[in-house]
Amino acid sequence: MKLKLTEEKLLAPKISNEKLVGLYKQMWLIRYFDEKVDEFFAKGMIHGTTHLAVGQEASASGVCALLDIDDKITSTHRGHGHCIAKGATADKMMAELFGRTTGYCKGKGGSMHIADVDMGNLGANGIVAGGIPLAVGSALTAKMKNLNYVTVCFFGDGATNEGSFHEAVNLASIWDLPVIFVCENNQYGMSGSVKEMINVDDIATRAKAYGIPGVVADGNDIIEIMNVTDDAIKRARRGDGPTLIEAKTYRWKGHSKSDAKKYRTREEEKEWRAKDPIKRYKQVLIDAGLFTEETAEELRLAAKKEIEDAVKFSEESPMPTLDDLLTDVYA
Amino acid sequence: MAKEVFMPKLSSTMAVGTVLQWFKEEGDSVEVGEPLFEIMTDKINIEVESYEEGILLKRYYDVDDEAPVNAVVGYIGEAGEEVSDTPPEVVGRESGEDETMDSSPTRNDADSNSGVTAKEEIEEVVDNDRRVRATPAARRIAHENNVVLSMVSGSGPKGRVHELDVMTYVNGNKIFVTPLAEKIAKGNGVNLRQVTGTGPRGKIEKADVLAFVESQEARSSSNTHATGERVKLKGLRKAVADKMMDSVRTIPHVTLTSDVDMTKAMELRKALLPIIERQTGYRLSYTEIIMKTVAYVLENHPKVNASVVGDEIVMNNEVNIGLAVAVKNGLIVPSVKQANQKGLAELTETSKTLGAKARDNRLTPDEMRGSTFTISNLGMYAVDGFTPIINPPETAILGVGRIVEKPVVANGSVVILPMMVLSLSFDHRAIDGAPAAAFLTELKESLEDPYSLLV
Amino acid sequence: MREITYLEAVREAMSLEMRKNKDVFILGEDIGVYGGAFGVTRGMIEEFGPERVRNTPISEAGIAGAAVGSALTGMRPILELQFSDFITIALDQIVNQAAKIRYMYGGKGKVPMVVRTPSGSGTGAAAQHSQSLEAWVTHIPGLKVVQPSTAYDAKGLLKAAMDDDNPVIFYEHKLLYKTSSDVPEEAYSLPLGKADVKREGSDVTIVATAIMVHRALEAAAELEKEGISIEVIDPCTLVPLDEETIIKSVVKTGRVVVVHEAVKRGGYGGEIASMIAESEAFDYLDAPIKRLGGAPSPVPYHPDLEKAHAPQVSNIIQAAKETLNKV
Repeated sequence: MKLKLTEEKLLAPKISNEKLVGLYKQMWLIRYFDEKVDEFFAKGMIHGTTHLAVGQEASASGVCALLDIDDKITSTHRGHGHCIAKGATADKMMAELFGRTTGYCKGKGGSMHIADVDMGNLGANGIVAGGIPLAVGSALTAKMKNLNYVTVCFFGDGATNEGSFHEAVNLASIWDLPVIFVCENNQYGMSGSVKEMINVDDIATRAKAYGIPGVVADGNDIIEIMNVTDDAIKRARRGDGPTLIEAKTYRWKGHSKSDAKKYRTREEEKEWRAKDPIKRYKQVLIDAGLFTEETAEELRLAAKKEIEDAVKFSEESPMPTLDDLLTDVYA
Repeated sequence: MAKEVFMPKLSSTMAVGTVLQWFKEEGDSVEVGEPLFEIMTDKINIEVESYEEGILLKRYYDVDDEAPVNAVVGYIGEAGEEVSDTPPEVVGRESGEDETMDSSPTRNDADSNSGVTAKEEIEEVVDNDRRVRATPAARRIAHENNVVLSMVSGSGPKGRVHELDVMTYVNGNKIFVTPLAEKIAKGNGVNLRQVTGTGPRGKIEKADVLAFVESQEARSSSNTHATGERVKLKGLRKAVADKMMDSVRTIPHVTLTSDVDMTKAMELRKALLPIIERQTGYRLSYTEIIMKTVAYVLENHPKVNASVVGDEIVMNNEVNIGLAVAVKNGLIVPSVKQANQKGLAELTETSKTLGAKARDNRLTPDEMRGSTFTISNLGMYAVDGFTPIINPPETAILGVGRIVEKPVVANGSVVILPMMVLSLSFDHRAIDGAPAAAFLTELKESLEDPYSLLV
Repeated sequence: MREITYLEAVREAMSLEMRKNKDVFILGEDIGVYGGAFGVTRGMIEEFGPERVRNTPISEAGIAGAAVGSALTGMRPILELQFSDFITIALDQIVNQAAKIRYMYGGKGKVPMVVRTPSGSGTGAAAQHSQSLEAWVTHIPGLKVVQPSTAYDAKGLLKAAMDDDNPVIFYEHKLLYKTSSDVPEEAYSLPLGKADVKREGSDVTIVATAIMVHRALEAAAELEKEGISIEVIDPCTLVPLDEETIIKSVVKTGRVVVVHEAVKRGGYGGEIASMIAESEAFDYLDAPIKRLGGAPSPVPYHPDLEKAHAPQVSNIIQAAKETLNKV
């Protein structure tokens, strides 16, 4: 039975009202972070490449809202949102993109490799599906050491065509590992549409092949995300094994910084923008009487300010020296 | 356009060279290859020959001045060309790694005209050495030993020079050989230098010698060509060769011989030997007695103590006796200065010291210069008389034979006396037969009555 | 001291460590009751149980990643890759994840894992089960690469590999599994990055890895009869490489032959040769550096061809003599 926020007390029990309101601000943080990064790339202020998750905030915030600090995630190249949702601060993340020593990876990882191991974020990953076996390994540790944490493994639709995905899901299944596979199906693996690249309607059905539950969720509905995640986490903690969740969503921006998006239409983009997860969540919160339009605006502006502060922090942070080149190659 | 005369860099360690003498005055004309000046380096002293022709326009350094390597020490050009009164700055033409000279132990040439055309040769050497196929180790060893790589024959593929090749070159006759192989080689009269060693680092082993003997036998039965060892004329050997050739070619030699009764000289030696040995630590030999006598007699015969320089005969004021010393690969003639003013003890000490230094290649340029008359003593061999070749620019040389007991008629009866043959070669351009004979006669009489020296 | 085989030494090193440290476990294909393709883990599942001797599906990318993930979160896995050829399937996890995580994360996180994998030809297993691909991983900063040649070395180096907080690729040679040497019963560690001079000599240095160490020693014994004195150096670990020991030896001998079984082209011998040429030993070289390696072909099936593919004792003798201009 799906839970409805409007039905009092039916929401996942561990989420307080305060936290629910906090998630609203977090979604704006994620969005403003990526918008800011987009702006800086356009201006040439930061180099390299980046992948933005604007429009996909609900799955990151919704899934991570249910995780404890001990729980782990593995992330993807489009990982800023996961990182913020798992408790990272925008200033250290922005500093990383600025290549500063105050960044999460001391300026040596960049956008695609932000990790915050202390907070249970085992890292973004530049390799499609690269993090999936890692998550299985992390879950294996939990099982072998009798630790009660779960590992959430984020990946995209494209990753499910990689061998690693299938191998890892199979391992997690045969060993009943406490891992939740969260496929954020944003409809495109770079330019490859799921319609062209995958011959099943729902990626979640691939779970069947490995004998685990597969659940489809509206990726732009944070409440639904939280509900299905809650089920999956409970199953994992019980020792019943993994779940594959498919969160159907859409990335508003191109694949990475230089994408003319010729593989899709303006109409399609408009359609998905209408399903803006933040707007939808605001309405839910207002309808539930958890905040007002005014509070919502305050939170939005606070998020914006936080990102601006993060930029300031980054700009004022020191650059690495060439002596740092060879440090941390080995433990 | 005037051409610079450089202070050549003659070894890897040479930083400065000292001008010992100029052979040309400013304004003199100079031919390519003519000795221009003589320098002393940290290793050798050497005559630097001109690599330009023209007029020596300028000399920036005087005798005993030091000039850094590559410094312009003078200019050669056309008459009337203007050159600066002060030398230009030393240009940083730092020499390359292999820019070294062969300073193998035998190079010593104060008495010779064996100077090299330093700069030209060096440049050629540098050029050649870069082209030489050589292993890094060979280059390092060559560099450390100032060996010119192009002089070393390589034993590797395509003539590549290996470390051992350089070592062999440096060590000259030193051959790595097992004792057994050496013995077999000796027994078969095999020159080990011709044998290729197959042991570690090219060591010659028994099998190598036997294989060589076999191959030689096979060759001699099928091939009548001489297969003697060939040694290139170079270094001191070349210097001696040139000098001897020059002497024989330009000097009309006449040799006079005379038998000398050495009875009293032997007595004298016997009497003085312990005294001098106690005083100096050296043993008096006949060479010193003869030298002393020669120096004494020469004072009375200035023409025999002369030098021929150009078209002049120079009667030398000093009596400096050159002493021919056989060294490993040639002959060196150190000079006992003012021998006529030295007693036998001093002469003994001086000649023994000089002899040792000559053999050790430690003579200073000064010790090899300035002799006015040379003595060549072959008395230690079974030689009586011979025809010594004059050491230019001197005008005479005395050859000393062995002392041997001979039946001699004296006062109508045959007696056995210790006799010695003196052979005096003289330059007939400077001296005629009679004065030469007079000198030899007086020398003979003085030796037969050495006590006259004390008078 | 007793003599045990190389295979037993590997097993003993693992068992000793697993008894001591609960975080250490082994995972791989057919390592359970089957005992591993070469029998290395035989008996281990009985002692340590299926949790810690974790038999996996044939799923190299998956298990490699699981090993990395578990290492990153506190375990110390030993991954047995059944044949080193299969590293090709696991390379993403080894190269893109394991090797880089610490660096990418700015020094946070570590990946203490050992990938044990048998390599080499000589078993007739042909092209896809006989390769020596160690040079591939030596190229990757962040990985350590070990190639033991004796039972004694295998045990000590594996202990060091398990103790290391970094991913270590541990190449075991199939033909060496049955070779024996004196091995202490207790656990001991041989430092990674320290070469072993297997034989001292003065004329030619032979730097040899894995089974080539044995062939080099045989060659050295032959050459000794001809009065040629060979020094045999076993680097033991390719990364980190004990440059000092090699350089010192080459300075002494002036001649060097580098020999490995891997295909010569692009092989690690090129790295060793270049290292020597760049070092102070250059000025002591009295002959070109010689390299011996596998032929530029896949490993063939026919035994004669297979033998011809890899350097043999006679090739090593020939090469050493060439450096001495004695051929």
